[in-house]
Amino acid sequence: MMGAMLMVGGIGLVAALILGIASVTFAVKMDPREKAVLDQLPGANCGACGFAGCAAFAHELTTTPEVEMACPAVNKDGLKAISDILGRSLGAGDAMIAFVRCKGSPADTITRYSYVGPEDCRTAQIIAGGPKACQYGCLGLGSCVEACPFDAMHMGEDGLPHVNEDKCTGCGKCVDACPREIIALISRSANFGVRCISQDSPKEMRQYCKVGCIKCRICENTCPFEAIEVTQGNAASIDQEKCQKCGLCVSVCPTGVISSKQPSGKVQVIAEKCKGCGICAQVCPVDAISGKPKEPYVVDISKCIGCAMCIEKCPADAIERLAR
Amino acid sequence: MKTFKGGIHPPENKVLVKDNAIIELPLSKVFFVPTQQHLGAPAKPVVNTGATVKRGQVLTEPMGFVSAVVHAPTSGTVKEITKRVHPVTGLLAPYIIIEADGKDEWAPGLPLERDPFAMEAKELLNIIQLSGIVGMGGATFPTHVKLSPPKDKTIDTFIINGAECEPYLAADYRLMLEQPERIIDGARIVMKVLGLDSAIMAIEANKPDAIRLMQEKTPPEIKVEPMKVKYPQGAEKHLIDALTGREVPSGGLPMDVGALVHNAGTVAAIWDACALGIPLIERITSVTGRGINQPRNIKVRIGTPLKDVFEFCGGLNDAAKIIFGGPMMGIAQCCEDVPVMKGTSGILVLTEQETNLNSYRSCIACGRCLEACPMGLVPSMLSRLGERSMWKEALDYNLLDCVECGSCTYVCPANRPIVHFVKYLKTLQREAKAKGKGA
Repeated sequence: MMGAMLMVGGIGLVAALILGIASVTFAVKMDPREKAVLDQLPGANCGACGFAGCAAFAHELTTTPEVEMACPAVNKDGLKAISDILGRSLGAGDAMIAFVRCKGSPADTITRYSYVGPEDCRTAQIIAGGPKACQYGCLGLGSCVEACPFDAMHMGEDGLPHVNEDKCTGCGKCVDACPREIIALISRSANFGVRCISQDSPKEMRQYCKVGCIKCRICENTCPFEAIEVTQGNAASIDQEKCQKCGLCVSVCPTGVISSKQPSGKVQVIAEKCKGCGICAQVCPVDAISGKPKEPYVVDISKCIGCAMCIEKCPADAIERLAR
Repeated sequence: MKTFKGGIHPPENKVLVKDNAIIELPLSKVFFVPTQQHLGAPAKPVVNTGATVKRGQVLTEPMGFVSAVVHAPTSGTVKEITKRVHPVTGLLAPYIIIEADGKDEWAPGLPLERDPFAMEAKELLNIIQLSGIVGMGGATFPTHVKLSPPKDKTIDTFIINGAECEPYLAADYRLMLEQPERIIDGARIVMKVLGLDSAIMAIEANKPDAIRLMQEKTPPEIKVEPMKVKYPQGAEKHLIDALTGREVPSGGLPMDVGALVHNAGTVAAIWDACALGIPLIERITSVTGRGINQPRNIKVRIGTPLKDVFEFCGGLNDAAKIIFGGPMMGIAQCCEDVPVMKGTSGILVLTEQETNLNSYRSCIACGRCLEACPMGLVPSMLSRLGERSMWKEALDYNLLDCVECGSCTYVCPANRPIVHFVKYLKTLQREAKAKGKGA
């Protein structure tokens, strides 16, 4: 009995000694900062940074001073934390977000044939170019949802994918998964997007879909900032850098294909500052401002679309946005 | 009887149409002629809208050697050159739409009766190229390319493929029974072009009357070989393996082992072109399946709209799926307004009972697909890699050697769409290759 205990205990001691020595001599030297940086990264290993997972990117960040912040999933706080750990300031790129550029739910579009096979847009696409008649329309089988490493997408009741803006990191996995290039990354700060990329002529497009862009150019002609363009054969596209988020395009689009993330805040006139010049009433595209010269003007909230063109033109800074 | 390893025995269902003699379809009022009816480089139209065309007149100009011309199926005027849905790709492709004038006048100089055996091999090859002849079994590879092997390769075996192993179809069978001379004399022309003094005609044993008739009619240099009834007996590589014991190397062509296979319909078209001067403007096809009221074997002009064919065959009844070709390798159609093409070996209208629209389940690794695969591949692995889009790994499992015969999908107890996955993987590989990402 005693002998057996000594024997087992002895083996344990010897093994512990060997393991102890090994853990010191063969220890992988790791920069403690690397571990700290890794803790700040999302850990989804999506690969959007261009490196083989979060650990590899954390290693690159700590060892190579030239490496910039390439992870789209890190928020402002995380970026600051990493900058503190590394002792150098990392520039933040413009945060991006996935945007689904198709509004054609199965109810609004024509399906050419009933697809039988794997529930994957990419396998459906190789069967006669996909069941949806519009070659630019969402196939609705959810390859993008499947591909999202952050669980930020889900298929809505309308048969189209929807992006959860709080969870989306702009990694672009869904963009790669879509065989029809319907999903694009747009600036997180952007408020408006065109939910159609059809290059068909309006007549053809109308045969397939009730809600797509008909290339009428009303938005292009309406936009006061020349931020929307309807180029030859393409659906309308918004230049997010020029866009001032006035929202006029949304209100004029006859098919409602331009979507807004949130309504723009409406405006009000600060009566004490207003000199009654009337410039605001002249620039207002929806005739929401009225008043008499030399007296404070008034904004009709029910008409105001929050385009803020009056704020820009007011010489007395007498107009402000209301909170949303 | 000679055969290959692997394969399956699907129900033949040929009885629906095999005893119906070939009937000529009445001329349609409008013909929709796709400019691309072959594998290879596209061909561009040489006629303009409003032009008057005659039967047999050249409509396109090929853009390369591996390409084929298209001819006007009848006389009339070019109504429009526009894009319509193509039966093979399902995408929009250029079409020449011809409004028939009903006179059906030949182009000047056609038809032209001549003795093909008095002509040089080179001249015959030229006629075959100008007549726009492509493989009529369904693959539509330009015939003149197959007949001009590079200098370092010699062809010593010529096989006439009358196996017609696809279930349902009986067009080649009817052709062999009703017009054996066209096939035999066409084969003799091919032998002359290649400088061969023998040929083998392979016919599956389920067509004993065709075998008997061919044995009676063929000259001694053409040997009629009955083949074991098994799918895919009529596949090029398996026919060569069964008849000569030679294996076409991975990624290679039949000419690498000195063999050449032509479909019975193709050699008949070669006869028409060389002896009668008639380009490929019509073909024989089986219109069959339980979804059509009167299954028929028809002689039909290229470009005839499908709805005219259906009308002639008594209309549709409870149709669930329309397929161009056979049920195993044919191409399901996404819409009804497509025309008959050079490669349309059958028009199959299946009812819901004849199709399988059920969903699939996980692979249970039973190995039945391995037994069925005539290429000796591991289809179960390819399907699992396909589910994960792993085309690079699939290359290690010889993805590109798959002939997409569908035997694995047919036997799979889990109903897995294996060929669909293989096609998907091949698409990914092609796209990556086009982008220059290697392999």
